[in-house]
Amino acid sequence: MPDVQALVNDFVNLLKKRRIEGSQATAKQTAVLLRSVISQQRVPHTNQATVLINAVRAVGEQIIDVNPIELAVGNIVRRVLHIIREEDLSLVTDAVAGFGMFAGSDDEDDVERDDYPALSAASVAAAARSTSRPPSLQTLLEDVTDSAVVPPTPSSGGDSEGISRTLEKGSSGRKLKHDVIEAVNELIQDITSCHEQIAEQAVEHIHQNEVILTLGSSKTVLEFLCAAKEKKRSFKVVVAEGAPRYQGQVLAKELAARGIQTTVIADSATFAMISQVNMVIVGAHAVMANGGVIAPIGLHMVALAAQRHAVPFVVLAGSHKLCPLYPHNPQVLLTELRSPSELLDFGEFSDLMDSATGSGSLHVVNPAFDYVPPNLVSLFITDTGGHNPSYMYRLIADYYSADDLVVKQRPTTGS
Amino acid sequence: MYLLLTLIIFSRLLNSKTPGEGEGRSEMWWRSASFIMDRQQQQNQGDSSNPNISAYYETRAAHHGVVTSDWLAQAQAAIGPEPQPQPQLSPDPDKPFSVIDQFNSWRKQPHLAEAVAAIRALAAVIRSSQATTMMQLEIELKKASDSLKSWDTSSISLTAGCDLFMRYVTRTSALEYEDFNSAKSRLIERAEKFGEISYKARKVIAMLSQDFIFDGCTILVHGFSRVVFEVLKLAAQNNKLFRVFCTEGRPDRTGLRLSNELAKLDVPVKLLIDSAVAYTMDEVDMVFVGADGVVESGGIINMMGTYQIALVAHSMNKPVYVAAESYKFARLYPLDQKDLAPALRPIDFGVPIPSKVEVERSARDYTPPQYLTLLFTDLGVLTPSVVSDELIQLYL
Repeated sequence: MPDVQALVNDFVNLLKKRRIEGSQATAKQTAVLLRSVISQQRVPHTNQATVLINAVRAVGEQIIDVNPIELAVGNIVRRVLHIIREEDLSLVTDAVAGFGMFAGSDDEDDVERDDYPALSAASVAAAARSTSRPPSLQTLLEDVTDSAVVPPTPSSGGDSEGISRTLEKGSSGRKLKHDVIEAVNELIQDITSCHEQIAEQAVEHIHQNEVILTLGSSKTVLEFLCAAKEKKRSFKVVVAEGAPRYQGQVLAKELAARGIQTTVIADSATFAMISQVNMVIVGAHAVMANGGVIAPIGLHMVALAAQRHAVPFVVLAGSHKLCPLYPHNPQVLLTELRSPSELLDFGEFSDLMDSATGSGSLHVVNPAFDYVPPNLVSLFITDTGGHNPSYMYRLIADYYSADDLVVKQRPTTGS
Repeated sequence: MYLLLTLIIFSRLLNSKTPGEGEGRSEMWWRSASFIMDRQQQQNQGDSSNPNISAYYETRAAHHGVVTSDWLAQAQAAIGPEPQPQPQLSPDPDKPFSVIDQFNSWRKQPHLAEAVAAIRALAAVIRSSQATTMMQLEIELKKASDSLKSWDTSSISLTAGCDLFMRYVTRTSALEYEDFNSAKSRLIERAEKFGEISYKARKVIAMLSQDFIFDGCTILVHGFSRVVFEVLKLAAQNNKLFRVFCTEGRPDRTGLRLSNELAKLDVPVKLLIDSAVAYTMDEVDMVFVGADGVVESGGIINMMGTYQIALVAHSMNKPVYVAAESYKFARLYPLDQKDLAPALRPIDFGVPIPSKVEVERSARDYTPPQYLTLLFTDLGVLTPSVVSDELIQLYL
């Protein structure tokens, strides 16, 4: 079994060198890494959830800072933290139920009853219920427990009962770790199969003789369109080529190979073609908490064209792309600059470039992502169905805990 | 200090009530110190607030009012002969218990929110109650809460605070505590700590907002909100370099108060007259406003002028951020300005207004949710569509 830090270093190197491309592959690798971290972590008898949370958080800090634009890393870290909290909560609820039965059956012992004058099983369950949910108006006046879990109930009775409780605690610790690993396995399976679940909804959205526009290349979009083709839908696809990497040409080749009628256009021809298009279907890099989309470069222009001509703009995104952060100042912070070699040939322009000799006057900028505001998006299709942009907060509340939005231990001062 | 501000308020009332007095001799008389003293005594003897003036905005004007040199001289001359005693916080034991008196004494503290004062008044009801069951206590609290809400129907945070506490009492009795006295003491303890919760809420909102304030940005602020001031104060303490535009905020002139406070923190401030908002919106990067209430649609009710600023910001693609505590969420669904109960206040135009001229004296407006970008609350950063979800979870 290799060391955890070595695994983290390998993952960090792969992220730095951009060897892992795409949100899905990054999310899957992150989940596999965190599963290894959890399985190798030793858990004590008390506060198992806190130890696991701190271990995942420590690794998460390292891998999130490597590539801040790859939001899928932070998403999976927060999902795993949420999984740990939920599994621990279910164990606590079971323990509370068992303790309630134990207290109820022991009618003759008055001393035990005096130990808990104000609390009952219902109030402890209510307190446990409030720890799992994000803060809301209901819990505004409730007591807030600072610890990650409800403190364990004190054991009582003779030596034999104490020994049995110790054994129960030991098995409870191992059960928590086992449950967390099982849940992370389910998460990895969900990431892998999100294409199929999104593609199953294709027949509901693509109708006969429609013209669909897309830009760039996305595996989700490819599977979505091929699923509609398999259901005997006859439609045409217009693919913008997605300069400067021309991923749209790759997608067009695959679509044509599967028998779909395909037209390739230049990116600048979007406004010319949008009036003939019935629907725009695109993939996304990340979906922000307000419903905005971090998308390949050029997609904001497509969204504006779609809005101008009242064409629905549909975004396909797996649940691993949902990001609980809000885009403050999105034009500046949420973009990545790629190599200028994708735009210009170095041999022909090297004397004019300002980076080579410092005296040239040519500067090349190659941003990778656009931010599409939520008012331009008509519909999100995720593996759980179609959603309005204003509904994204509900999905995010289901997938993430409020305590995990800031993964760092201490918030940094200043920007 | 409170007496000084009270005199200023009464003077403003006089100014708006007798606009037709043009003769110099009569004008000299009703501006004199002796007339102010007589008027104040009459006001005290009446012991009932003027129904045309919203008590909520009267207190806010007392907290935020800017003292001019003219009225300062008059008030000092008036106070000099007979200093008035300070109002007592504890009620007179001879008089019967009144929840409204409790609320009024708490409300006069400038740093205490209205919802906190309401909940503390209800805690006093619990403390002085002779009930022996939770059902009896709930009935008494219900009566006290209803009388508080009907006392000032224009205060939204008062209504929201009472509803939130009554909802909590209902859910506490549903938890089936074994002992009535422990449940009662728990209610009192939670109500007393609500002020602490409110203070923490401002801290949480200030922390959440820091990511949105970047170096070199310009922020437009309207109205004096304690939460917005906390946000800007924390950003200044974190050594961020930003500029603040304050609207003048007539007729309360809240912008002068805010610019004074920000100047103490060495934040660059520019004061705008209220009509200069569209002129300067080019330079603005974001708009920060507080909220008197957040309604179920996600819109906000705030100081007059907020809707106008939001319209300008929306048309010029500037984000409008709202900083509000979550206990200001209210079960209201206004569709336009006239759906709100009017909250009137006196307006001093500086010159007498002819009696035929009608004056719009509403103190607040309603901003629909499509003009708001995000709400910073202690529940997290929310889009306006989340507000109805939170209220449904509370009252379902």
